[in-house]
Amino acid sequence: MSLLEVRGLKKSFGSAEILKGIDLRVEKGERIALIGGSGCGKSVFLRCLTLLEKPTAGQIFVDGRELTVKGAKVDEIRRNMGMVFQKFHLFSEMNVMDNLCLAPTHLLNMSRPDAEAKAMELLDRVGLSAYARRWPNTLSGGQQQRVAICRCLMMDPKLLLFDEPTSALDPSMVGEVLAVIRALAKRDMTMLIVTHEMSFAREVSDRVLFLADGVIYEQGSPTEIFDAPKREKTIAFIRKIKYFSFEITDRRFDLMRLQGGIQSFGENYGLAPQQIYRLQICCEELVYEMLAHCYGEARPVDMQLEVSYAEADQASEIALTCGGAEYDPFGQKDDGLGVTILKSMAAHLDYKRTDKRNHITIKL
Amino acid sequence: MTLSDKLYKILIQGGSWKTILGGLWVTVQISVFALILGTVLGALVCQLRIRKNPLVRFIASVYIAVLRGTPVLMLLLLLYYGVLARAGLKPVTVAVITFGLNVSAHVSELLRAALDAADKGQAEAARTLGFSAWDTSRLVTLPQVLRIAKPVYQSTIVNLIQWTSVVGYVTITDLTRVINNTAARTMQPLLTISIGMLIYLSLSYLVFGVFALTDRAEAKKRRGDAE
Repeated sequence: MSLLEVRGLKKSFGSAEILKGIDLRVEKGERIALIGGSGCGKSVFLRCLTLLEKPTAGQIFVDGRELTVKGAKVDEIRRNMGMVFQKFHLFSEMNVMDNLCLAPTHLLNMSRPDAEAKAMELLDRVGLSAYARRWPNTLSGGQQQRVAICRCLMMDPKLLLFDEPTSALDPSMVGEVLAVIRALAKRDMTMLIVTHEMSFAREVSDRVLFLADGVIYEQGSPTEIFDAPKREKTIAFIRKIKYFSFEITDRRFDLMRLQGGIQSFGENYGLAPQQIYRLQICCEELVYEMLAHCYGEARPVDMQLEVSYAEADQASEIALTCGGAEYDPFGQKDDGLGVTILKSMAAHLDYKRTDKRNHITIKL
Repeated sequence: MTLSDKLYKILIQGGSWKTILGGLWVTVQISVFALILGTVLGALVCQLRIRKNPLVRFIASVYIAVLRGTPVLMLLLLLYYGVLARAGLKPVTVAVITFGLNVSAHVSELLRAALDAADKGQAEAARTLGFSAWDTSRLVTLPQVLRIAKPVYQSTIVNLIQWTSVVGYVTITDLTRVINNTAARTMQPLLTISIGMLIYLSLSYLVFGVFALTDRAEAKKRRGDAE
């Protein structure tokens, strides 16, 4: 018997059918990544698995017990599944230790000292043993998410569900959470991960499901899906990159038009508001930095700005080329405010000079 | 007459202070019992107000609308001279019922607002861990609701204390009534009523103070072992 079996799962909200029949078997120790565009129903699917959303049709079996049958002991079956949410949802009215001990002491009749010992061991594993007496609101997002993972592990679940565990995090904190999930994968934890971190999905999963049109549109090993997707929509999703470009010919250019352009570009492709904001700030700082250093007063300005966004891993990139004097904004002795901002926001910065033009790429 | 003579007349002469304290005691009694009744009743009404059944929900909202939308003095008169006129209840009991009903409507709404503001994700997290709906409400949602509702609840209490000043209409000798009588007897309305207001003010600040203390204790607990 598979650890998780889903048969013909459907879910509609009103007249909109989000999931149109999903069949899935997950064996013990499997690590599955769920990918797909915004609004394709990945999260809804995960929420259906724990009955946070009631499926319209279909059956769900967890470790051989049917969850969807009338009179099923839902609360009991749920103990076998841990769910990690995008926004952590730690219990705000208690400290970290109580967050971890609440479920095992109430539901598994574990004694408080046993629960605390186990909690300390788990916190130690995720590097947070010093934070046991802290309250959730005093922790960073990354720390909260690591605690949330521990909270699930306290119940010794057979299956862990991750609903975009790093989407609500600042880029600087994504790594620490992914590291914890990676460590779990090494311990052969069975996991289902909804994620936008494509490189992570590729590295950690042994099966990738691509959701589109309310079904599992294509599935296969990470290599199959990421390097050789076969079906049209998968190819589009994995490969497709969206562009926005903007030309600047006058130093008194229309900044608001640039910002507005990035705004609507970002909104069109479902970028998070935070991400759009970062793009806007980076573009503004970069443009002014280059305007100030590459062009004298009299020179005509020939600056080309391109913003691109890859849906698959939600990575965005800014590419700027401009003529004028050679100037590497990142190679100066003292960084001005603009460059400092850029350096703190970007994941990767690059400068090249070719054909008498400056080329700068910034990855966010 | 010097100020001290006036004060002597108002507060001391003929055991006047005992009468004033007696009035204060009545005010406190009505407030405390009405608050207890109103809180319990309010929690129940809130339960009904958020039910799925539209009829139950409707009845609860009418109850809330009527009680919040009409003067509490009218309700007091209605119950005392009308509905409960033949029930043989003491005026103070009728006052407690009146203010209890009034407070229940306010408490119900402030609880509902707090429930709305509570993080539903935490409840979902508890459910996925395996907690029943009841345990989730009790262990995860309720503590949040109490924290969110606290500031509004505090002003509800202070409002209640002040509104009890109308119970003189149904023959109850509460603080306001006593002050009024004293002012008439001593012919010193300015000073007497000012003293009365001061007593109400201290009562209100006593409530604020108690809440501030609990706030401070909570903040200390949360800071507790930080760093």
